[in-house]
Amino acid sequence: MLLRDVGYARPGTTDEALGLLAEHEGARPLAGGQTLINVMKARAAAPDVLVDLNGINELKGIELGSDGTLEIAPMTTTSQLIASQEARARPILAEVCSQIADIQVRNRGTVGGNICSSDPTNHLPPLMVAIGAELTIAGPSGERTVPADAFFLGVYMTAVGPDELLTKITVPPGRSDGFASVAVGRDGTCIVNAAASANAELRVVLGCVSAVPEIVRPESADPDAVRSAVQAAQLEPPSDVHASTEYRHALAEVVAVRAATQATERAGG
Amino acid sequence: MEAGRAAPATSRITVEINGTMYEREVEARRLLIHLIRDDLDLTGSHVGCDTGNCGACSVIFDGTLVKSCMLLAVQADGASIETVEGLADGELSPLQQAFSDHHALQCGYCTPGMLMSATALLRDNPSPSDEEIAKAIQGNICRCTGYWNIVKAIKVASGQEVGT
Amino acid sequence: MSETTVAPEQTEVEEATRETWSGQNVPRKEDKRLVQGEGVFFDDVKRHNMGYVHFVRSPYAHAKIRSVDVSAALDQPGVYGTLTGDEVATLTDPFFQISSPPGAHLKDYCLAVGKVRFVGEPVAAVVAETREGARDASELIEVDYEPLPAINDARRALDDEAPVLHDQAGTNLTWEGVFEWGDLDAAFAGADRVVKISELHFDRFNSTPLECNGSLVEYNRGTGQWTIITNNQFPGFAAIMMGPAMRVGLDKLRFVTQDIGGGFGNKITTHPQLVACCLLARKLNRAVQWTEWRTDFHLSMSHGNERWFLDTEVAVKSDGTLLGFRTTALDDAGAWLRYEPLGGVIWAQVTPGMYRWRNIRLDFRQVVTNKAPVSPNRGYSRMQHLWFTERVIDIVASELELDPVEVRKRNYIKADEMPYETPNGCIYDSGDYAKMLDVALDLIGYDGLESRRAGAEQRGKLLGLGIGSTLDSGTNNFGQSRLINPDLQFSGNNEVATVKLDLFGEIVVTLGTTPQGQSHETTAAQVVADILGCSVDDVNVRAGHDSYWNSHAGFSGTYASQFAVTGLGAVKGATEMLAGQMRKLASVVLACSPEDIELAEGQARIKGNPEAALPFMALGAIINANNAGLPEDLDVTLNCRYVYRPPFEVPDIERKYGNLTLTYAAQVHAALVEIDPETGVYEVVDYAAVDDCGKRINPQVVEGQVMGATAQALGAATHETFPYDEDGNLLTPNFYDYHVPHALDMPPLKTGYIESASPFTSLGTKGMGEGGGAGIHAVCAALQDALRPRGRPIVHDSFNPYERVWEMLREPDASRARVSVESR
Repeated sequence: MLLRDVGYARPGTTDEALGLLAEHEGARPLAGGQTLINVMKARAAAPDVLVDLNGINELKGIELGSDGTLEIAPMTTTSQLIASQEARARPILAEVCSQIADIQVRNRGTVGGNICSSDPTNHLPPLMVAIGAELTIAGPSGERTVPADAFFLGVYMTAVGPDELLTKITVPPGRSDGFASVAVGRDGTCIVNAAASANAELRVVLGCVSAVPEIVRPESADPDAVRSAVQAAQLEPPSDVHASTEYRHALAEVVAVRAATQATERAGG
Repeated sequence: MEAGRAAPATSRITVEINGTMYEREVEARRLLIHLIRDDLDLTGSHVGCDTGNCGACSVIFDGTLVKSCMLLAVQADGASIETVEGLADGELSPLQQAFSDHHALQCGYCTPGMLMSATALLRDNPSPSDEEIAKAIQGNICRCTGYWNIVKAIKVASGQEVGT
Repeated sequence: MSETTVAPEQTEVEEATRETWSGQNVPRKEDKRLVQGEGVFFDDVKRHNMGYVHFVRSPYAHAKIRSVDVSAALDQPGVYGTLTGDEVATLTDPFFQISSPPGAHLKDYCLAVGKVRFVGEPVAAVVAETREGARDASELIEVDYEPLPAINDARRALDDEAPVLHDQAGTNLTWEGVFEWGDLDAAFAGADRVVKISELHFDRFNSTPLECNGSLVEYNRGTGQWTIITNNQFPGFAAIMMGPAMRVGLDKLRFVTQDIGGGFGNKITTHPQLVACCLLARKLNRAVQWTEWRTDFHLSMSHGNERWFLDTEVAVKSDGTLLGFRTTALDDAGAWLRYEPLGGVIWAQVTPGMYRWRNIRLDFRQVVTNKAPVSPNRGYSRMQHLWFTERVIDIVASELELDPVEVRKRNYIKADEMPYETPNGCIYDSGDYAKMLDVALDLIGYDGLESRRAGAEQRGKLLGLGIGSTLDSGTNNFGQSRLINPDLQFSGNNEVATVKLDLFGEIVVTLGTTPQGQSHETTAAQVVADILGCSVDDVNVRAGHDSYWNSHAGFSGTYASQFAVTGLGAVKGATEMLAGQMRKLASVVLACSPEDIELAEGQARIKGNPEAALPFMALGAIINANNAGLPEDLDVTLNCRYVYRPPFEVPDIERKYGNLTLTYAAQVHAALVEIDPETGVYEVVDYAAVDDCGKRINPQVVEGQVMGATAQALGAATHETFPYDEDGNLLTPNFYDYHVPHALDMPPLKTGYIESASPFTSLGTKGMGEGGGAGIHAVCAALQDALRPRGRPIVHDSFNPYERVWEMLREPDASRARVSVESR
C-alpha cells in the first residue's frame, strides 16, 4: 500500500519530460497513474523519479482532420474521449472506453496509458491493432511512427523506449468495428476480449490470450470461418485465477465471432 | 519547483479542500488519501483496499471524481478538492438526507465515497436512470447494503419518482 | 431497483397515528454523523507521537524460522522498535485452545514462534514514526527460513506423506466428532430409494468487510492498563484470549470501539495482532497504531470454513419424503484454530435444515492446512450445512424427477408443529416455511416461469429457477462448546445494557455491543421510548463500546445474529427496571402508589390526573442533586444495569443433545438465472427474498440486512473465492483479483416478509442479519435447473464461476458421476 521513496517532477512540455527521462536512469512517466500507482503500492516496481505528464498541455486533446482522421494526444483521459465530439468519427473508441472499470478510473486513466502499459487484459491494445492505429513516439533520436501491430512487444512492453514518450495516436476514420469480451463482473477485468474491424479486410484481434494482441484474419465473418482462423492461430492462452487455458481458448473463439459479427453488421448497415 | 528539474524528496504543496487552503511539506511518495486523512485530519474519506478498487477514498478533484489513493499528494498542489466534509451546509444536503431516509448506509464506511460519486453524477446528469446511477457508483464497493437502497436514494435526491 | 411487499401492514411513521416506536422505520441515529464523514473508525483516531506498526509476514506456506535479525531495521532513523517471536514466547503464554486434544496442544502466539505455517503469517513487527517508514524498515528485517513441504488441500492433509503442521498435535486432524440421532438403519431400511452423492464442496471465501482490522493501543504505565481502540466485534472473546496470554487480569484491557466498517464475523479473531500491539505499546512506552491493508487481510485473516460433504447417502421415499441422511463433513480450518473448532458443532444448531427428517448422522473431521486461519463469517458454519441440505433436496428432487417446490413443501417443518424439537434437541421457535416459499414464488412470478423459459430459449439462453431456503439461528448457547471439548466451562449467553435518567432529565443508554452497521443505537432507542413513554429523540444511546462503561459481560459483542434478542432484551430489562424506579420515586413525591403512575409524554404522572405530573428532569434532579428527605428504604438509583440471560441448559454431552440457539429466523429466496450456453456466463435476472425474523423493531433495518446478505451471497456464488497454488500462495490477495459485487452486478430484487413472533424472547423478536447463505443455495439450484436440458449436470460446489458452468455444459456426465440412485 505504501510507496517507496521516489523523486517527482512535473514538466510543462514534452521536451522537458524527455529531458528528465534521459537524465534519470530509473525515471518513469506518470500518466493517469491508474496502473503505475498500483504497481508502486505493491512495490512490484520502484522508479527513482516519476515524471508527471499531467501538466503537459501539448499531450492533451483530440483533433479531427478533414479526412476524418483522428489525432488523439495520449494524455487524453478515457472520460474525455467518451465525451469528445471529435471521437465520434470512430464510435468504437468511446464504446470500448465506457467499459473500462469505473468513472474514477476513466477520469484519470489516459488513452496513452492504457496503450503503453500493454497489460494483456487491457481494452485498448487489441482495439488499436484492429482499427489500424498508428503510434507516434518521440525520443532523443527524434520522432517516429509505428503501426499498432508492431507496437506491442510483450507483457508491459511496447516500442516506446525508456527515454521516449508516446506523443500521438492516429486513428483512421471508420464505423465498421466491433468489440466483445467476457469479463470478471460488469466492466471488470477482461478474461478474454476481441476487437474487430471490417473497414478494409476483416481483421479480428484477440486480447488476454498471449503477451501481445493476436491478429487473426478470417476469410469471412461467418462464425465457422472466424473459429477456424482462431484455431489456426494456435493460441496458448495463460491460465490464472479467472480462467484456465482451455476456457480462454473456447472463449476466444466466441468473442472473436461476436466482434467480427458486430463489425460486419455495421459495415453492412 | 523549477520546471525540468527533479524535485527533492519532499516539497511544499498548497491545496484547497472544501474551501480551506492548506500548506504542507510532503514526500513525493505520499498518497493523496494519506495527506487528507493523516496530515489534514479530514478523516471522512476512507481506505478500504490497496489496489484502487473500492472507491472509499473518492473525492472530487478539480471538478472530477477520482480515487484519492491513486494520486500522489504532490499532484494536488494547486488543486481544489471536495470531500464529504464539505457536503453539508449547516444542514444535511438533500443527497445526504436521502441516504438516511432510504437506509442507503449501514456501517457508513463506503458512504463518504458514495456521496462524492453521487454528487459528481448529479452535477453531470441531473436526472439519471437506475442504470446510469449504478454505472456512476460502479467504482464504489459496499459490502453492507447490496447497493439497491443507494441507487434509490440517489434517484430520490435527483427529484425523480421511485417505485415504492 | 427493488420493491418491497410486506404481508402485515407497514405504515409510514406519522406523529398522529403512531402507536409504538417499535415496528416503525424510525430514522437512524447513526446516519447524521456517518453521512457527514464524522464517524469515528479506529484509523481516524490519533495520538501524539504514536508509532505505526508494520508486520513482517512469511513468504512461505510452511517453513522453519532459523533466525530473525532486526538490527538493520533498528538502525534506521525514525524506527522506534521491533518485536520478534522469541520475545513473544518469553513475554506471553500460548493462546487458550478451545479444542480437546489433539487440537488442544497447538501453541499459538501473536507472532510465529519457531515455524511459519501460512503465507502472510506475522513473524515480526516494527514500529516507526511514519507509516511509510515502518513499511520501509520491515524490508530490512532479515528472516532466515528453511522451507518445508506444504499442504493446501484438506483432502490430502491426512495422507501418510502429508507434512504435519503442529508437532505438538502430532497430526493434522485436530478435531473430530460423530453426531448421530434417530435410527439410521431403520430409515435406510424403510427407504424406497437411496440417493448417494460422493462429494459436495462448500468453497473458501470470506465476507470481506470494507474496513480491514486495526487498532490504536496505549499503555498506561502507572496503572498497568492498556486502552485498545479497535474494531474487534467480540471484545468478550478477545479479552478471554488476551488476558491469560498476557498474564494480566481482564480489567487491564480496556476495549474501545465506536464505528466499525463492517464485521460479518471477520473481526472476531484479531486477538493475536492486538496482543502484539499491546506488547509494543508497553515496550516502547508510546501509543502504537496498526492499520491492516487489504492484502494483509486477505492473506491472513478470517477465511470462511471450506467444507466437503463426502459419501452422502440419503434415504427417501418415492414420493419425495426424506427419511434421513448420513455424511462425512471434512472442514479445513487453515493453519491455526482461533475460533475453531466451534464450527464443528455450530452447524448442529440447524441439523435437519428446515426439514422433518429425524435420522441423521454426520461425521465431522476438521484438519489444519497451510492456509490462512478461518474464523466466523456471515452465516458461520450453519451456512455450509444449510447449503448441504438444500443441495440434497435439489439433487433428490432432480434424480427422482419431482418438483423441488413440492419436495420442499412435503418436507418442510410445518407452522403448526412449532415450536419444533429437532432430532438433536434444538427448538425451532416459530415459522411458516411453506408460506414464505409461496410468497417468494409469487414475487418471482413463478406462474410465468415456463413462458419466460421459452422466451430465453428463443434468444439462445437457458433459464432456470432456484429456491434457497435457510435458517438464521441466533443467540448461541455457548454450552455447545462442551460438545467440542467436555472440559470447557462455558455455557449460556448474556448481554448487558445500562439505562439511566440523568440530572437534567437525559435518558442515556449504554450497550455492551459493537455494532458494525446493524443500527443498534436506533433500535435500542425505539424499545426504550416505548417503555418510558417518550420520543426516540429523547433517548441518547452512546455510540459503540467501551469497557470503562462497565456495561458488558463475558459474551458481549455483535456477532451470530442475536442483538434483537440479547441486546434488546438487555435494553428492555434495564429500561423496565428504570421505569419501575421512576414510578416508585414519582409515587413518593406525588404521594400515591407506584401502580397509579404512568410514564407518558416525557412525564411521570398520576393516571387520570395529568396535572399531577413530574417531568423526567425533576426525577433525575431529585436523585442526583436534591435527595434529602427521601425515605431511607427507597431503593432508587435511576441508573439501571441489566444482564440479559437467555434460558438455556447445558446440553447433554453424551447424546450431543439440547437446545443450542434460542431463535430461528428464516429466509426463503428464489433466483432466476439466465445462462449463455456459448460461454457459461450467466446473469441473475430476477430475485426474491422473503424473511421472517419475528417481530421487526425497524422494518427498514431488517430489509437492509436481508439485502446485504443477498448481495454477499451472490458474490460468493459467482466470483468470490480464496484459491491457493501448490506453493501455498493465495491467488486472490486483493480486491483486484478477488471480485466482490459492484452496483452493476446486482439483479432486480423484490423483498417480502412475514412475522412469526418468537415465543421465547421478551420482545417476540428473533436475531437476524447473517442470512444463512440463501443466495448461494438459490443460485446453485437455479443453475442446476437451467442446465437440466443439457444432460442434467449436478451442481456440486457452492462456487460456480462461469468456467464451472461451461464445464458442466460441456461434460454434464462428469458431475453426474458423483450421484447414484439405488432402488430398494
